[in-house]
Amino acid sequence: MVEPQFLGRTGTAMDDLLNDFLAETAEILAEAGGAIVAWEADPADRAQLDAIFRSVHTIKGSSGFLALPRVTALAHAAEDALDQVRRGNRVANAALVTGVLGIIDRLSDLCTALGQKGAEPTGDDRDVIGALSEHKTSDDAPFEVAGVPLRREDDFGAEMQSWRSIRVPLPLLDSVMTGVTDIVLARNEFARMLRESGADLSVIASFDRLSDSIAGMRQSVSQMRMQRIDKLFAPLPRIVRDLAQEMGKKIAFQTSGGEVELDREMMENIRDPLIHIVRNAIDHGVEPLEDRVAAGKDITATISVSARQSGNQIEIEVRDDGRGLSPDTITAKAIASRILTTTEARALGPKEKLDLIFRPGFSTAAKVTSISGRGVGMDIVKANVERIGGVVELRNDEGRGLTILLRVPMTLTIISGLMVRAAGQYFAIPRGAVREILLESGDTVRIDQLGGGELATVRGEQFPLLRLENILGRERDDSDDSDDRALVIVRPGQGQSYALSVAAIHDHEELVIKPAAPMIMATGLYAGTTLPDNGRPVLLLDVQGLLAIAAIDASEAGRSHDRMAEAEAEAAAARNAVQLLLFRDMNHRVRGVRLSVIERVEEVPASALFESAGRVQAQIGDDIFPVHAAVLPGGEGTLKLLRLYDGQSVLCYPIAEVIDIVRLPDVVQPSAAPGLIAGVVLVGGGPVELIDPFWLMEQYAAGTPVSALRQPLCRLADDHDGWGDNFLAPILRSAGYRVISSDDTLGETPDVLLYLTETSAADSDADSEVPVIRLRTSVAATGPDDDTVYRYDRQALLDALQRRVGDVA
Amino acid sequence: MMEKLYLIARIADTRVALRSRAINSVVTVGTPVEVPAAPPHVAGLFALRSRVFTLIDPHVVVGLPAVPVVPGQRVIVVDVAEHGYALLADEIEDVCFIEAPETRVAGKLLPGWARVADAMIEHDGASLLVVDPSHFITLPTLKAA
Repeated sequence: MVEPQFLGRTGTAMDDLLNDFLAETAEILAEAGGAIVAWEADPADRAQLDAIFRSVHTIKGSSGFLALPRVTALAHAAEDALDQVRRGNRVANAALVTGVLGIIDRLSDLCTALGQKGAEPTGDDRDVIGALSEHKTSDDAPFEVAGVPLRREDDFGAEMQSWRSIRVPLPLLDSVMTGVTDIVLARNEFARMLRESGADLSVIASFDRLSDSIAGMRQSVSQMRMQRIDKLFAPLPRIVRDLAQEMGKKIAFQTSGGEVELDREMMENIRDPLIHIVRNAIDHGVEPLEDRVAAGKDITATISVSARQSGNQIEIEVRDDGRGLSPDTITAKAIASRILTTTEARALGPKEKLDLIFRPGFSTAAKVTSISGRGVGMDIVKANVERIGGVVELRNDEGRGLTILLRVPMTLTIISGLMVRAAGQYFAIPRGAVREILLESGDTVRIDQLGGGELATVRGEQFPLLRLENILGRERDDSDDSDDRALVIVRPGQGQSYALSVAAIHDHEELVIKPAAPMIMATGLYAGTTLPDNGRPVLLLDVQGLLAIAAIDASEAGRSHDRMAEAEAEAAAARNAVQLLLFRDMNHRVRGVRLSVIERVEEVPASALFESAGRVQAQIGDDIFPVHAAVLPGGEGTLKLLRLYDGQSVLCYPIAEVIDIVRLPDVVQPSAAPGLIAGVVLVGGGPVELIDPFWLMEQYAAGTPVSALRQPLCRLADDHDGWGDNFLAPILRSAGYRVISSDDTLGETPDVLLYLTETSAADSDADSEVPVIRLRTSVAATGPDDDTVYRYDRQALLDALQRRVGDVA
Repeated sequence: MMEKLYLIARIADTRVALRSRAINSVVTVGTPVEVPAAPPHVAGLFALRSRVFTLIDPHVVVGLPAVPVVPGQRVIVVDVAEHGYALLADEIEDVCFIEAPETRVAGKLLPGWARVADAMIEHDGASLLVVDPSHFITLPTLKAA
């Protein structure tokens, strides 16, 4: 919205005021155009009318202050006419709307002139003002500019400024961004040098602190540059209306997804392409009325523009229900325009024929119209989008419509990327699209060959498996250890996921992403390039593009969740070492929690946390979750929250930072009493407190208490070291069992007996009818007949209990 | 005078003259990073002063087989449409002023060369093709083989 020339002049206070006025007015005018068109469609929409009225009123007020008589008179005329409508003295009709739009246009022209010359040009606005008045008698009536009242009695008490903000010149914002980008690059370089020099811990610790604040800063700067895509859509309704009227077409226009946010620079770069595509759709796509009738279509055509976020990318879709593209007509035109020869044309497939519209010098219009045929072709659109690392896709349904999809990166700036290796080189994956990382050889993973394709089953959930080397058309590197092969569960967009098999996982880094050269982007495999701290360029994989190249359906819908497979996967999981997430808590203690209970790590602004009913809660998106914190963590900036998920409810655990993911050591020193800390383990020679997620969840469970009568009774036997009481009992209780130890005599027959030893020596209850479950301390089962359950495998244990006892309430 | 300044180099086994204003710089390149699935004339990526450049093998552009990159090889850095590219040069000979005028290409060139050559120029008793580096960036549309 903000035209650069408005900002070029600074100096006196008056100049600043004028610049502010121009920037604000440009914004208001762009939005008002859209609002007026919406109001025309539904004149009863009082809210729209009020909004437009407020807009012109604001312009009038500020212009009066700055002594801009022409602007004031124009705004006053529009305000007057709209006020008549609001009071019911005048009916909204097309003439009125056209008149108001005429005023808006004149105001835009005046503002442009103001921005360039710094003063209001002289001129006569009676033509547009006259067009607005109901009875065209005012041709000679002088306009009493000085007498225009600047306030009405029924002015809106509440001003629009409900938020506090300042305007910052864009070049300044850009230079801040460039600065931060350079800082991140320098930080990465420095990090590498530190690693290589083997600096001592205190240096690394203070470097880490610096690193953290840089990360925080770059996030704030990125957010500063984000704007709602609404702004991009705002001028479109007006364009559609004017064009449709000019061409005698009836068009219903709709936009959706305006809340999606996009980097400002991206927005600037796709503004013209988007407008061009919409114009094209009206001019070339939508048929004349009679053709639509002949084709049996609704006379009113529909053009919709929608935006959605997909991973690190924004998809903007322009869909029309016009005639679509005809490959044969396009080819004929291309031959006629000497873009290609007849022989070349014969070799082209249907898709390549459609792509001819992107060739320079191609115009689909039979005759060059005043609207689209202005020398700006789809080639320019494509070039503009590709320059920022985007892709233009056509989805043609000949005779029924055309959809043009623009996919652009959300930001040109910095993302957190996971570095992986394949075919002997490194690639980056946007961290935001990564759901989980698993070792391919791990027991939680099962890989099946299915008719030439591969399928990965992870804890009962199935994912199509892509091997990065295959997609890239490379051989595996022989020097890679096959034990390192890892699966990255990628979620490129809503409702899609797949498993990407890579030779090894390296680490993750803050990456400055730049678009790659167009021919590299055109492969569809890459989303850009980046320079990590080793100074060798790395390609950022396009997680959505990989899918398209592999031509697989990654939709999650309808994937079977086979019970058997799940049980099998659970059993397999039991033999696998448990992974432990190490983190530093808010008091800088190193703690760990089983990775499997973490849904994700959330970064939220400190302001998202609030206290309610004596509990700290966090607002994340539209949801509110309990937070494990005694007092509200103060401070500015952002907070990291571990999201613990037990399958039903979420609990947030504030942490300072994530340190690492390690295997949970076999030796756990249990704590004396059940509580937040389940025990202590040694990781890398240092003690790490183990969080007990069962206890935690229990504290915050929104619990619907289960009636004690219906709770099956579980008796622990051979609990010599208190493990059962400390570790197992809380889990069982939270799962809805009552627990007694072997010493307790309750006079009630237990529903199930849990032996905490493998030996059957103490099998005193062998004769009873009570079902028995034996727990073993070793991870591996002794043989195929071994029906014991590994004592740290919660799920297998609960499953086993359920089988013996039946469903617990 | 700038328009008379030429870089004389051997690229794709041929001595050519490149107009100096089309050229950003001449640098040496280390081991480039490969770009799997990229078009054949893309020899890889390399970094220079925190920018990533796309390495182009002119051999492929004019229709010759690709030649592997030798570490320390010199490349001609050009900017085309706001992207940085580097043309692999077999040899960089000289930067010099050539007073002789550019003339129309006489004679028939191989199709690959015909596409990249703009003109001819006389220098030191030899005729050199004047090539536009930006023409090396795009490959001619390959016919479906």
